[in-house]
Amino acid sequence: MGKAILIVDDSASVRQVVSIALKGAGYDVIEGCDGKDALTKLNGQKIHLIISDVNMPNMDGITFVKEVKKLANYKFTPIIMLTTESQEGKKQEGQAAGAKAWVVKPFQPAQMLAAVSKLILP
Amino acid sequence: MSLDLDQALQTYIAEARELLQDMEDSLLRLEADPSDADTIGAIFRAAHTIKGSAGLFGLDPIVSFTHIVEDVLDRVRDGDVVIEANLIAVLLESGDHMLHLVDVVAAQGGQLDAEAIARESGLRIRLQDYQANQDSSKSNNVVQVETEASFQSSGGGFVETDNWHISLRFGENVMRDGMDPLSFLRYLSTLGEIVSITTMFDALPPADKMDAESCYLGFEIDFKSDADKATIAGVFEFAREGSLIHILPPHSKLTEYIDLIRSFPENETRLGEILVSTGALTQQELEDGLSEQQTSTRSDGSTTPLGEILVDQRSVEHEVVQAALDKQTQSKDSKSKENRYIRVHADKLDELINMVGELVIAGAGVSLLAQRVSDNGLQEATSVMSGLVEEIRDGALRLRMVPIGETFSRFQRVVRDVGRELGKDIELVITGAETELDKTVVEKIGDPLMHLVRNAMDHGIESASIRQAVGKPAKGTLRLNAYHDSGSIVIEIVDDGGGLNRDRILQKARERGLIAPNVTPPDSEIYNMIFEAGFSTAEAITNLSGRGVGMDVVKRNITALRGTVSLDSAVGQGTTVSIRLPLTLAIIDGFLVGVGKSSYIVPLDMVQECIELSEKDRQETRERSYLNLRGEVLPFVKLRDHFEVESIGGSRRENVVVVSCAGQKAGLVVDELMGEFQTVIKPLGKIFSTLRGISGSTILGSGEVALILDVPSLVHQAVNQESQKVSTRQLSHSVM
Repeated sequence: MGKAILIVDDSASVRQVVSIALKGAGYDVIEGCDGKDALTKLNGQKIHLIISDVNMPNMDGITFVKEVKKLANYKFTPIIMLTTESQEGKKQEGQAAGAKAWVVKPFQPAQMLAAVSKLILP
Repeated sequence: MSLDLDQALQTYIAEARELLQDMEDSLLRLEADPSDADTIGAIFRAAHTIKGSAGLFGLDPIVSFTHIVEDVLDRVRDGDVVIEANLIAVLLESGDHMLHLVDVVAAQGGQLDAEAIARESGLRIRLQDYQANQDSSKSNNVVQVETEASFQSSGGGFVETDNWHISLRFGENVMRDGMDPLSFLRYLSTLGEIVSITTMFDALPPADKMDAESCYLGFEIDFKSDADKATIAGVFEFAREGSLIHILPPHSKLTEYIDLIRSFPENETRLGEILVSTGALTQQELEDGLSEQQTSTRSDGSTTPLGEILVDQRSVEHEVVQAALDKQTQSKDSKSKENRYIRVHADKLDELINMVGELVIAGAGVSLLAQRVSDNGLQEATSVMSGLVEEIRDGALRLRMVPIGETFSRFQRVVRDVGRELGKDIELVITGAETELDKTVVEKIGDPLMHLVRNAMDHGIESASIRQAVGKPAKGTLRLNAYHDSGSIVIEIVDDGGGLNRDRILQKARERGLIAPNVTPPDSEIYNMIFEAGFSTAEAITNLSGRGVGMDVVKRNITALRGTVSLDSAVGQGTTVSIRLPLTLAIIDGFLVGVGKSSYIVPLDMVQECIELSEKDRQETRERSYLNLRGEVLPFVKLRDHFEVESIGGSRRENVVVVSCAGQKAGLVVDELMGEFQTVIKPLGKIFSTLRGISGSTILGSGEVALILDVPSLVHQAVNQESQKVSTRQLSHSVM
């Protein structure tokens, strides 16, 4: 069993590519299509890392991060925000909420892997 | 894995197309209500997602163009750019161009043609007007990064023995934020060799004051690597907040930097960027330095040279920036209309429908056997099963049903663009958008609809001056309407234009020999002449319609979908084109009838009632082909005669199935009524395509083939043959 990573993004293609890259590197991947959906995936199981988009329907990434930080099981789980260069403000907001890491969209799968390996040991 | 990626790319293409359609719809909504912040947010998000995902697949043409669009949209969202007609126009065209780019990707490795390249550069120039000025300096930056190599070589070579020195003091919160100092160090070791590492305990409090969740560690690292400074700093970028990180390059070039900067004091910004591009500075350090410079300017009035700040202070001072930026983007996309969907490949669905079809046929076989064996238990079991099969059939077919609204709303754009081209102000009113029909039908109805809509706008609706002259509102109205009617879906294209010129059509039809000179058919028939091949009464061929591809093609397309098209018009009031299509192309409820040894299926939705053909009627109908149905004239067709079925002797009782279609009723005379039957439609081979009165075939439980009747054509035939007889009779009466 590899370490479990939760990827939250409303774009199915982003989820697909990220999960292909991560699975290729030996991680287990769980997908959530927005903040609300992702919270239901956090049902007590061990998640080593969360990757979340900012702009999403139903529950945006910032709110999602704040919710995660309230959960005892996950408050120390590292979170990577997916931002864009035009969203510097969102990045700051995400950091204030507790997502200290980020990857700027558009990214190559290798960039995502690098960010992930800075945060969790294999 | 590459196969998976290919699948992901297909997902992306479908996703991008949907987003572009959403974007177009939203832009049109925005045109009506420019203050709608939700819509602006939705448009931005669409462009944003398209760009973001394109980057994943390395689709650079899409990324670079969409980036500009996104940039403009971002400024729209922030209120820096005002929404006006030109902006909407350029964004709509940009959307079209993006769709083209996506299509090129979908076509697998195709190149952009010259036309598209020209269009893109045109759009880029037009979009530039809406972009912030600072963007040009950003692009300069990119150019400078490309010249990195030359800068590095001029800056002196690398000495291998020289090590980087990294001084790390992690912030207390680093572990609370979910980050493990160890994992950063491990990652660092992937970039080079950690020559020596010393753990610094000086921040460690006495054991009783220690918080288990806090980090008190620091490291002094000697690091050997060919990586540039930005890459090394990048290792710790997530931990920057609250931590002290100093990265000293192998060569102590500090004075060199300061000298260089001092020699060009007025060009600090550009110099900073040059330093970044040489790898001496990281972008983050530069930004910190710049903000530091600005605050210090305010305090004492003189400018501290940027270089000094950069080298001496290297502190994180972005709280000010943060506060300013935080206020900036607070858009909430309350667009929660997105339902939860599972994306299923259409082929899989088709396969399922096929299998359900086979199940229906097999089920019918079992029922038939059960009846023959006349075992009550077995019959009961099969009847329960038939009920379930029917439900499965309906469920499977519903999977393919989609609302026609999506197709309709695409015409908002068409009507807007064509209206502008023609200089006519035309409003499109859509009703019945929620009406559902089979996906295959939806896909194929687009082209005929497009033709009819363009035709109505071009030839139907008059110019504003003519409209005003006859007392109509200057704005023309085009309606698209859809509704269900006895097992069919009816789509209407209604315009409030001048209507068809009946006399001209009649004249033309006579010229072409379609109507005999001395016969004057009813108006509706005259109007429907325009569906004949090559029949055009347009006085001038315009760019939009009348290009030789005429209404006959529309009719052919619709007939291919087992549908019919008819037209009604009133001079001065407008024209209505009605398209009648079957709800589904796969399985229908049929009514099984027998003629001689053959079986035929009548679509159940079209059956009104069944009556017995009495002996009296039989006598009377030897001469004429209509019946008296409770005082109504009911024309009929004898299937035995129509299909030339051999009679199996004896004067068996005959029955009449009364069917209705498009408001007309007719009777079909058959031998036997055999009841309802779930009919899986199997297409007929090409050789049978000329047969009149048959639209398909099916397989019965016994394995025999039954033909499905084309009721509309039979009704048409019955009604026509009767009215022709009547009119010739009248004619002969009047002659005599």
